[in-house]
Amino acid sequence: MSPLPFAASAPLSLGVELELQLVRAHDHDLAHEAGDLIARLAKKRVPGEVKPEVTLSMVELNSSVQQNYVALLAELRAQRAAVCEAAGVLNLRVAGGGTHPFHKWSERRVFPAERFQGVVERYGFLAKQFTVFGQHIHVGCPSGDDAVYLTHMLMRHVPQFIALSAASPFYQGEDTSFQTSRLTAVSAFPLSGHMPFVRDWREFEAYFDAMRGYGIVQSMKDFYWDIRPKPEYGTIEIRVCDTPLTVGRAALLAAFAQALACYYLAERPLEPSSAVYQVNAFNRFEACRYGYGGTLVDPYARRRKAIGEDILDAIAHAMPHAVRLGAAPALSDLAAEVRGGYSDANWLRAQRGPAGALGDVVRKAAERWSAA
Amino acid sequence: MQELLWFLPVWPPEFAEPVAFGALLLAGLLGGEIVNRFLALPRITGYVLAGIACGPFGLGLVEGPLLSEARVFVDLALGLIMFELGARLDFAWLARNRWLSAAAVGESLGAFFAIYAALLYAGFAPLLAGCAAAVGTATSPAVVMLVTQELRASGQVTERMLLFTSVNCAVAFVTLTLLLPLVHLEYRADWRSALLHPVYVLFGAALLGFAACQLMLWLARWLGKREDRQFVLQVGTIVLIVGLARAADVTVGVALLACGVFARNRDPGHALLPLRFGYAGQLLFVVLFVLTGASLDFGLLAPAATAAAAFIVARFLGKSAAILAFGPLSGLRPGGAGLLSLALLPMSGLAVVMVWDTAALFPAFGTELAAVVLSAVAILELVGPLATQFALRRAGEAGVEHRE
Repeated sequence: MSPLPFAASAPLSLGVELELQLVRAHDHDLAHEAGDLIARLAKKRVPGEVKPEVTLSMVELNSSVQQNYVALLAELRAQRAAVCEAAGVLNLRVAGGGTHPFHKWSERRVFPAERFQGVVERYGFLAKQFTVFGQHIHVGCPSGDDAVYLTHMLMRHVPQFIALSAASPFYQGEDTSFQTSRLTAVSAFPLSGHMPFVRDWREFEAYFDAMRGYGIVQSMKDFYWDIRPKPEYGTIEIRVCDTPLTVGRAALLAAFAQALACYYLAERPLEPSSAVYQVNAFNRFEACRYGYGGTLVDPYARRRKAIGEDILDAIAHAMPHAVRLGAAPALSDLAAEVRGGYSDANWLRAQRGPAGALGDVVRKAAERWSAA
Repeated sequence: MQELLWFLPVWPPEFAEPVAFGALLLAGLLGGEIVNRFLALPRITGYVLAGIACGPFGLGLVEGPLLSEARVFVDLALGLIMFELGARLDFAWLARNRWLSAAAVGESLGAFFAIYAALLYAGFAPLLAGCAAAVGTATSPAVVMLVTQELRASGQVTERMLLFTSVNCAVAFVTLTLLLPLVHLEYRADWRSALLHPVYVLFGAALLGFAACQLMLWLARWLGKREDRQFVLQVGTIVLIVGLARAADVTVGVALLACGVFARNRDPGHALLPLRFGYAGQLLFVVLFVLTGASLDFGLLAPAATAAAAFIVARFLGKSAAILAFGPLSGLRPGGAGLLSLALLPMSGLAVVMVWDTAALFPAFGTELAAVVLSAVAILELVGPLATQFALRRAGEAGVEHRE
């Protein structure tokens, strides 16, 4: 029997996890009321799932398994409405964005569940500093070998997803000068990074088995990789995105991931290359720091290229598949935003203004999240 | 010898106010630290105990004239607190959550009518029972704010405790003022002045609060969002309101509460930053509680003990009823409603000030009122902070506490 069976799932099925900030009404600092909110939602009929995260200042929305962009967006909107309604009863605000601009990590309280207490015991202050908010996108794969192939292919697009989703310019009360500061909080974990350069699922299983044998990991959950196969769901999971400021943008990012996956699995245009991993750290930094304006190294063409331009090329490749998946208008919207230089990080910076306070940034982000 | 040492002060030297202020601060600091370190009690309890130790029922260091001269510190400290409390009265939340409104209003009315009935039953005159019930409606804003700050508490019970306190303080002020005409008539004043007086006191104060808020908002927009400058702006405005309200003979607490309410609910551009008391506020609060402790009158307690006990029990039951009935419907988790009722127990400086203000108008009536209410305050001053601290900790809403 194989050590890590890969569950079959509908190819190109789509799922999204969104980590959200819970904000107090009176001073816009983070609240500690995830438990109350989840308890209240448990009594309502909410599509998908609402789950706790490591600290009491965050909740996670999970969509159900969806086949296309339109259905995903509809479900996310319904979830957003339910969560905002329940939060209103408790006088909480809900906001997107990758970081809370000015909260103090030391004031975070850990969610009272054994799993999270264990994380704190293991990782110390990293656990509370991990009060950052990301979007994870799941795409269904027919087999483990396809999952390994797709993970290698999508690694090439990590800088694109970072630039597209960037929404954390502020951290611990300061402008970081980065488009996203969230990923540095992830990098501190020992098992962050990326999947090793394995050729197929059998090799991956051997790697996992070895790591488990050393006692380094117990399950796939312990790897905090940028993209990781998720064999129990039969998906690959993209984990580099900041939670966008709107559910609309969250759905756009998912549609882009789905169309890219379709492009790679249907056309197999390229073979995995270790060059992708040689340039990955550099490309990733450029995307975090400069967003669309950064320069990455295209490991296949072996030349430097603006990240914005690289995204537009990728959208063009994926577009025929997006048409088939019913997401062509979504990808066109995304391309238009890239051309216009729109990013959530830029929007957040604009809200602060010359003399503005970071409290205003949070208030406006929360207004934007809850706007229908 | 005396000629040689002429530069020495005459013995005993005359102590000026700074000495008293400093001594009260240090006594409070020590008291707070001692009860917190060795008995794990809230620091406020230590401040009050230090006050009792320094006051007429202790060493007698702080008495009569100093107590009235120190009134300015009490006013300032309560001013900061009332303003911040007003800023917690979030009408949007009450409008969104109808069961919350029901609990808030029910809690105030429940306390009022329960105390009123209990005192009537105990044989007090209806008017006296009514005024005592009005004062008893209010939870001590200073205690709930300070315990919140000390525990760094945050959560649903904490938020609702502050909201309900702002509501019950407003209800207490309004009820007490509405009862004024009856007191006037009792003391045979002209019916016209009996009617105009409460209108003036209430609306005058609200108008003052509104005007001061407008001024503050206008200056805040001009200053921009700088925490240091806005702190000075807000404290300056608060002090100004205290002085003007006093000069105009309108209720200081209402003016400040109104200013806070307007600042929270009528600031469309969000020009004002939330007020953080910081170390400066801490100074005033220590003195506030030491002085409240020093002014507690245990002489009243013996004769009025039964009435005070009835007052406290009725008040607690009245407050709990509405919260237990509507709390769970308004989104409180199981157990939260009981803890919230407990957290709202404290009575303190605000009640003392309300009694003083009434006594200033009607000395004879004031003395009777003081006997009941201040005896209850003497008990709740010690029990209240403990109840609030216990409730917030038990609710799991206390932050990480820094204790050596």
